[in-house]
Amino acid sequence: MTIRLRDLAACFEGVIPSIIATAAPDGTPNISYLSHVVLVDDERVALSNQFFSKTAANVRTNPAAAVLIVDPRDGGQYRLDVTFEQTMDSGWLFEEMAVQLQATSAQIGMGEVMRLRGVDVYQVRAVHAVPSPMPGQELSSREAGLQLMAAAAVARRVSQATDVDSIIDAVLEGLREAFTFSHAMLLLKDPGGERLVTLGSRGYERSGIGSEVLVGEGIIGMAASKRRPVRVSDMSRIRRFNSAVRASSDEENRTRTIALPGMPDAMSQVALPMVAHGVLRGVLFLESSARLAFTKEDEAALAVVAMQAAAALALAEAEAGEGLAKAPSAANKHKVAGRQFRVVHHAYDDSIFIDNEYLVKGVPGRLLMHLLRIHLREGRVEFTNREIRLSEELRLPDIKDNLETRLLLLRRRLEEKAAPVQLLRIGRGRVRLEVAGPAVLEEATG
Amino acid sequence: MLINQDLAAFMASPVMIILGTRDDFLAPEIARAVGAVVRRDKGHVDLMVSEWQWPKTVANVRANGQLAVTFARPSDYVSYQIKGHATVVSTAAEHVALARRYMECMASTLGELGLEQRVVAPWLVDRDLVAVRLSVQEIFEQTPGARAGRLIEGQP
Repeated sequence: MTIRLRDLAACFEGVIPSIIATAAPDGTPNISYLSHVVLVDDERVALSNQFFSKTAANVRTNPAAAVLIVDPRDGGQYRLDVTFEQTMDSGWLFEEMAVQLQATSAQIGMGEVMRLRGVDVYQVRAVHAVPSPMPGQELSSREAGLQLMAAAAVARRVSQATDVDSIIDAVLEGLREAFTFSHAMLLLKDPGGERLVTLGSRGYERSGIGSEVLVGEGIIGMAASKRRPVRVSDMSRIRRFNSAVRASSDEENRTRTIALPGMPDAMSQVALPMVAHGVLRGVLFLESSARLAFTKEDEAALAVVAMQAAAALALAEAEAGEGLAKAPSAANKHKVAGRQFRVVHHAYDDSIFIDNEYLVKGVPGRLLMHLLRIHLREGRVEFTNREIRLSEELRLPDIKDNLETRLLLLRRRLEEKAAPVQLLRIGRGRVRLEVAGPAVLEEATG
Repeated sequence: MLINQDLAAFMASPVMIILGTRDDFLAPEIARAVGAVVRRDKGHVDLMVSEWQWPKTVANVRANGQLAVTFARPSDYVSYQIKGHATVVSTAAEHVALARRYMECMASTLGELGLEQRVVAPWLVDRDLVAVRLSVQEIFEQTPGARAGRLIEGQP
């Protein structure tokens, strides 16, 4: 039976080291361990070239080589007869391997040593199963067709969603139901800075809404900066970036930072860039406590989901609508009943504390202050996107493309904190403030 | 060539042993060995290989004798590569017993690193065992990093 390379995808996950044997022109053999072997297609593999200089020298004079790869699920060994084709030091494949290498080595303190010099592409002439005394094991490998169906199921959900809010929920619910991936989060890029902000998550103890990741930081930040999927299949030797972050309300109040949720025992992670119109919109991130939880096929299917979500979000922002200006209703300045609450604004970072609890900072913070000020001044509770955009007071040159996202972040944070003021979306381009009592606004001094 | 004592001890410890050979057309081949008997004074190492599992490697040694072997410690990747000329010699009871001990020891070492027995079993095979006797000519450092590939000892 002919073995196809694609059937051996698990061997390329980097869990069990692969090995290459070459021979010098005088016949002297050489053995090298390989940190990364990448499946290019059914006829080619690519090897990272960091330090095995003898191998590199040998294949330039004698291109024939043998590669031994191992299936980490059952220990099955496969020998590939390969022929060296070329070295690449740029291009799509090089970038992808550089990102993977960085993802798995930077975190174990070998960032410099493991710098990728080149990617050596080999043609695979034959694949042989090495004889094994063990009975062949039935492996529950997911069929590629299933990932495709799951991606279609998520796409269907997303295609029905009409606003930023429901698109994010459609993606996260879809991942859970169609892919049965239980831990996921969706982060969107803040156009004002080099940060990604969590807008939704599933499976974590805390939602982490409003938590931030710097572009370039960790696996999520790397997927954003390189605009490529980043996948790790065995984190057992990798120190986690965010492990030490304590997550508590006290901590939030002190640092004005919301901690990123995370699985303490994550073994597999995958981060997919969300790109639309050539612009990075965010990152979709999934993790699991199982080794090899995300296959190459999963990564491909999830990448499609991430791209579609990015396009849907871009469209939702563009078509958010301006909201019809309401007929000037008689300013209903009726007195708001209920317990008074205190909203403190810190001008230097636009952070907001409601009754001493940290809520949010930046543009969403400024937005809330703006809406509350108008509410107190005019007694109004309904606002249109159009008036928010045109507001002199807000002076936000960059806001027009991401108003919906900012309002969503504000709305979800208010909801999560069960704040005495809530924001409701009441139709295309319109929002309503619901206050549980009279608001007292304060500008923090110093 | 005399093999230094530390290296001899390393080769005989639970390390992964990989053989590299080539055929008459310079097509390379890979195999695993299940144990090494080091004769420091004679400058040779006997490597236990399952001819059932790795027939081409054994055939290559019989045909031309050119051999490279790496010894790699799975916990920290400390590794050495040894090159020289090899022959296939008849196995003694000592070889068979050593292979058995090596396989037990290796399985438990890999077990400590989180690899299940059923996963490592296909790598530890002693069916149709032969001994490949390597006369050591060159020793290289092979631990990943800047010094990988450095010749430690070699005879002219």
